[in-house]
Amino acid sequence: MRDIIRMIVVLTVICGLSGFTLSYVKQVTEEPREYAYLKFVKEPSIKAVLSGYDNDPIKDRIIVTLGKDEKGNPIEKQFFPAKKNGKVFAVAFDASANGYHGPISVMVGVNDKGVVDGISIMQHSETPGLGARTTEPSFTGQFKGLTLDGVNLTASGGKIQAISGASISSGAVVRAVREALELLPKIKQEVFSS
Amino acid sequence: MRLVNEFTKGLWREVPPFRLVLGLCPTLAVTTAAENGVGMGLATTFVLVCSNVLVALLRKLIPSKVRIASYIVIIASFVVIVELSMQAYAYKLYEALGIFIPLIVVNCIVLGRAEAFASKNNVVLSMADGLGMGIGFTMALTVIGGVRELLGSGSVFGVHVMWSSFEPFGFMLKAPGAFVCLGFLLGIMNIIGAKK
Amino acid sequence: MTEYILLIVSAIFVNNILLARYLGNCPFLGVSKSMDTAIGMGMAVIFVITSAGVITWMVQKYVLDPFGLAYLSTIAFILVIAALVQLVEMFLQKSVPALYRALGIFLPLITTNCAVLGVAIINIKEDYDLLTTLVFSFASAVGYSLALVLFAGIRERFAVMKMPKPFDGTPLGLITAGLLSMAFLGFSGLLK
Repeated sequence: MRDIIRMIVVLTVICGLSGFTLSYVKQVTEEPREYAYLKFVKEPSIKAVLSGYDNDPIKDRIIVTLGKDEKGNPIEKQFFPAKKNGKVFAVAFDASANGYHGPISVMVGVNDKGVVDGISIMQHSETPGLGARTTEPSFTGQFKGLTLDGVNLTASGGKIQAISGASISSGAVVRAVREALELLPKIKQEVFSS
Repeated sequence: MRLVNEFTKGLWREVPPFRLVLGLCPTLAVTTAAENGVGMGLATTFVLVCSNVLVALLRKLIPSKVRIASYIVIIASFVVIVELSMQAYAYKLYEALGIFIPLIVVNCIVLGRAEAFASKNNVVLSMADGLGMGIGFTMALTVIGGVRELLGSGSVFGVHVMWSSFEPFGFMLKAPGAFVCLGFLLGIMNIIGAKK
Repeated sequence: MTEYILLIVSAIFVNNILLARYLGNCPFLGVSKSMDTAIGMGMAVIFVITSAGVITWMVQKYVLDPFGLAYLSTIAFILVIAALVQLVEMFLQKSVPALYRALGIFLPLITTNCAVLGVAIINIKEDYDLLTTLVFSFASAVGYSLALVLFAGIRERFAVMKMPKPFDGTPLGLITAGLLSMAFLGFSGLLK
């Protein structure tokens, strides 16, 4: 009997110490882990859509609450500001829209006047040679310098030439960028005055 | 001196995975590049040393029947610490080593040394044993990684060293290449060992 | 239905857990010296990997995720596997003692078999649902046993051949595994 009690006590103590130590380590590394993850996953796109900044957009990231979902949990979105001399002059954030084979995720860089600095396709599952060509600079470069009015396919009166044979994918990228630009006025206050 | 002896045996005489045929899974998988070999070796060394020390510390308190379970919890805890730390401070390496970081838990070297040595020796000797084995393992991984990287990508530690007309053996970076390469290196080690 | 068939073919041949993913090597080179132990080991492994895959999936979805303890999955999984192997040991000891004795030390060693923990982690990483987890775990284990049995067959032949001394034993085993792995690499064009 005594042996069994001893075994249980030892195991419980070891497990307890382990759990305690691990939750401590988890807490301590929470911030660096999130930073490292964002840097690895998002930095290439952020670098592609912002330029001329002297800060670390990921370190200075701002989280804005956009409202609540049906369960009452707050919907949060990350914004990566580009600063010069401490003042925010542009911001990068992502938006997505459904393409031909699934959601296309786009990183959009836009300045405080609503002009697009650049876009970068982060994730997609479009057809290689067709929809996947939306990632090419010849397509994404078209968005630079445009405002909300110009961001539309030429077929709908805008300035974006769709990729031939990939109108659905092209349209999805346009929708994603429009969604981002439409969001801008709502978060302008919070992001640009920090 | 006994201490020095325990430390150095892991570096050559009983070096894993060549002499002490343990820890093969990560050896084959991560040695596609010398850098990955180093990273994996160091992570394993950390877990090995920490668990050896803790097991040696507690060896008189843990009842024999639950010793394997206790060792597993101890080793797994250090592995999780390594996992979290790598995610925070060495994310690129974490992605490169992938599934093999949590698999350090079942790396036969770690559990093997805990059971065969740390449970029977004091803290200082166990630490030396762990350190020796770990460093030896790291060196072995780096060498294997270096060979495979050299033949498979023409570079070592990311630095292109082969002449420009060298056509890399992609085979070396894939599964068959790993097995064959390790087999040959082991054979060569045996030849060197037999000569001494 | 086709996805499951593709998954099975992939797990057994194209992404063979041992020959392509490098998981489960240590016992591989030790056990596969004779056909009988290889077959017995294969059966035990199929049972352990399949049940471990399913149970760890359930632990992840119903215990770890809801409480935000996902980072403890490594520890939780290995404990589940250790307990499972213990149960299998006790069961075999009582009901099929001959097999229990034949497997000897290799049975508890299934706990440290990278393939078991590896499959459990892959199930979560690839975000499989319960049925896919079951299919993948089972198929992976079958692939492992297949490699094991093939290897044992080859090695039984080698036992009667003359070999240069330094290369005898493990180095030869590894090179053989490499050739076997190359053969399986030929399957990679199977899934289009």
